[in-house]
Amino acid sequence: MSEQINKNPNPGAPKVDTRKEEISKFSLIFNKLGIYVVVVALIIIGLIVSKGTFFAASNIQSILEAVALIGMVSAGLIFITFSGNMTDMSIPLTMAVGGMMTVQTINFGFPVAMLIGILSGVVIGFINGFMIGKLRANPIIWTWGFNLLLSGIVRVVWEGKQLYADKVAKDTEFAQNAANTFFSIARTYIGKYISLMAIIMIIMMIIAWFIHAKTKFGQKLKIIGTNYEVAKFSGINCAKTLITAYIINGVCASIGGIFFAALRKTASYENGTGYDFSCLTAVLLGGCLLNGGKGSVVGTFGGVLAYGILNNILSWIGLGTYEKYLVQGLVFLFIVWLNTYSNRKLGRA
Amino acid sequence: MGNASKNEAYALDMRSVSKRFPGTLAVDKVDFRVRAGEVHALMGENGAGKSTLMKMLAGLFNDYTGEIYINGEKKDLHTPNLAKEYGIGMVYQELSLARRISIYENLLVGRLPKKNPLFIDKKKAIEEAKKLLQRVGLNDIDPTLDVSEISQCDAQLVEIAKVLGSEPKILVMDEPTSALSSEEVKKLFEIVRNLQKQGMAIVYISHHLSEIFEIADMVTVMRDGKLVDSFPISETNTEQLVECMVGEPVKSFYADHKSMVTDEEVLRVEDFTRWGFYHHVNFNLHRGEVLAICGLAGSGRTEIARGLTGVDKIDGGKEYIHGKEVHFRDLGEAIKGGIGYLTEDRKVVGLALPQTVADNVTTCIIDKCGPGIVYDAKKQNGLVDEKINEMSVYPADRERLVNSFSGGNQQKVLMAKWLAADVDILILDEPTRGVDVNAKQVIHDAVKRYVSQGNACILLSSDLPEVVGLCDRAVILREGHIIGEIPKEGINENSLLIAANGEGEYVSCQNK
Repeated sequence: MSEQINKNPNPGAPKVDTRKEEISKFSLIFNKLGIYVVVVALIIIGLIVSKGTFFAASNIQSILEAVALIGMVSAGLIFITFSGNMTDMSIPLTMAVGGMMTVQTINFGFPVAMLIGILSGVVIGFINGFMIGKLRANPIIWTWGFNLLLSGIVRVVWEGKQLYADKVAKDTEFAQNAANTFFSIARTYIGKYISLMAIIMIIMMIIAWFIHAKTKFGQKLKIIGTNYEVAKFSGINCAKTLITAYIINGVCASIGGIFFAALRKTASYENGTGYDFSCLTAVLLGGCLLNGGKGSVVGTFGGVLAYGILNNILSWIGLGTYEKYLVQGLVFLFIVWLNTYSNRKLGRA
Repeated sequence: MGNASKNEAYALDMRSVSKRFPGTLAVDKVDFRVRAGEVHALMGENGAGKSTLMKMLAGLFNDYTGEIYINGEKKDLHTPNLAKEYGIGMVYQELSLARRISIYENLLVGRLPKKNPLFIDKKKAIEEAKKLLQRVGLNDIDPTLDVSEISQCDAQLVEIAKVLGSEPKILVMDEPTSALSSEEVKKLFEIVRNLQKQGMAIVYISHHLSEIFEIADMVTVMRDGKLVDSFPISETNTEQLVECMVGEPVKSFYADHKSMVTDEEVLRVEDFTRWGFYHHVNFNLHRGEVLAICGLAGSGRTEIARGLTGVDKIDGGKEYIHGKEVHFRDLGEAIKGGIGYLTEDRKVVGLALPQTVADNVTTCIIDKCGPGIVYDAKKQNGLVDEKINEMSVYPADRERLVNSFSGGNQQKVLMAKWLAADVDILILDEPTRGVDVNAKQVIHDAVKRYVSQGNACILLSSDLPEVVGLCDRAVILREGHIIGEIPKEGINENSLLIAANGEGEYVSCQNK
């Protein structure tokens, strides 16, 4: 009888899982710095496919312009991903509304118009934050539906028209100047190559870095993103914190939308199309965990650069728009897979 | 011991069965026998091995050792289907019924009669369901109703009917009365006696001593995975059973607990009510005191803690802290008001596991870390180090991720987090569940130090030696009502267990 008990070989042996720590260290380092390795690799590829003209002024300009818009929006989106709410599907219409409100109110002068555009982002962000942070709506379904609702509102209000700042502006010098200022913000260069848009994007990134890494809000968001229940049972006001996060996101998306409208010279309901996924790709490339709680603005900046350079390279190779979609889709799916994978390795999924 | 020398066939005869989980021997060479037509109660504290033994019987393990005989024949219960086939029926504590599906579909799940390969014979199914329902005394219930439309008691009976449908010879009931009122319990017992008369062997698991004495013929007690003793119910009494369940208390472990209790009242609760969970609860707490709120699972003690700290809204009553009436809308306000709540499940609601020790220890005091909106992580390092040293967290590295620590050290980090929160009343909900002896000792020392510094604690714990060792006073909670209070001198494991069952000298009012 007593033999039966001893069937289990080596019952007293201590179980030490040495594997876990190594993998998690590697994953952590990858999450922090890996993206800059990718950026350097992409620059080298870029130099090869462009036969050395990669650093030409015009090319740098086009990269920076493309990167600037994604960067502005991503500077806000990281707060959503970091807070454990994955992504904001209403980014396209937040951008579109930001641009359209600015153009529509251009007669009040450019600064006022821009403030109104940003204010629309605050309102959209607040509604999203209230629904998700306070009423605990599903973040994907709610923002997705809200995007559709906004798109309907915009089409009804403006009857599906595109808005041109110079046509909306009254025939006064003040209004026409405002319209011209509006167009020029996307076309101002400091020095020779550095566009104003890129500088604003970098300023926004720095502000986002400060908010994320150095404030009480950022610290609370980290706990909420890691585990909402733990945050709640530690006395953190989750609703207030999440509403703040969505407002920051709305502001960033609307600023992106204003510059987008200025760059295209038109404001329309389809202005932000595709930015939901491209910005999420950049944020995830930057090492943010889709489940929240891990990620940095420095990484996100790297992710934005990598995404912009990749698109640039695709243009150099001569891919058309359709093929680009294909590659972008594959990159997105790959990065989501990688995210889930490293997530599992970190023992979180 | 039961008379094993008689060579009569038992309905169930488990001989020297063992089951090892990594690191623990959950069931250790247990002999367990049940005759046909017998209600055999199985008792023991949490973690005694009762559920592992019953899971073994349900065929959930294919690696147990020892032999199981059913009606004298040796059987291997390696899968749930085999167990069912050999005539074992399990009635689980949590209802396994699909709530939004009709009763008859639930009863006949997996074996609905068919007209042809495509269609179900609904008429026949309803008839069969009615027959099964009659066996449990539900003559006038419509089998086409959804399970969600009938009462908890009826659902429990339907659950039993469902198990009876597979014609078991041995019926295992795990805490079948936990959700039932006393009227409903009577109804259930009638059915159990009926089944007993039909020659079924019934294993009945319960924490409620009074039920055991009412329904059981035999009682077996387990402790720490081992079988302690078996007696016919007529030859035993409450005290003996409790002694068997508790065993020798570890006296030295809680050696010198000097009472720090003062006269100053820090918390008073009057008429505290949340309908359906707790009703008209009154108690107070003094500076320097550790007060236990004792009660069986489901007595409402966790809910009271949630009500006190603003996690749940209360329906009525008043809460006073330092004599001032308070109304907390969330835990953040409660912490500011000086009352903290160490929750029971550290993995789900206690710690942000993939973050560092420093992040976790400062979670409750983020607003106090640094000027204005700025979070000054470095400034907190001193405090974090102080708290993790106080709790002897090993390794004492504040930058290490919490999920790389052992369970005991994680629990110490959780305690450090609440010590850092700087509250003067702390509610501890199962502060040492599932941790090793060393961590337990460290946490208990911390609790003693904490109250000696002029604070106060409320302890909610199922670990009776812990309550005996730490507490200055215990209030007894049963079904959401405070039914009595035990002073320091009267607290021992027996008195706690008896009182929690609504009996004994300390129970002052029997609420209904």
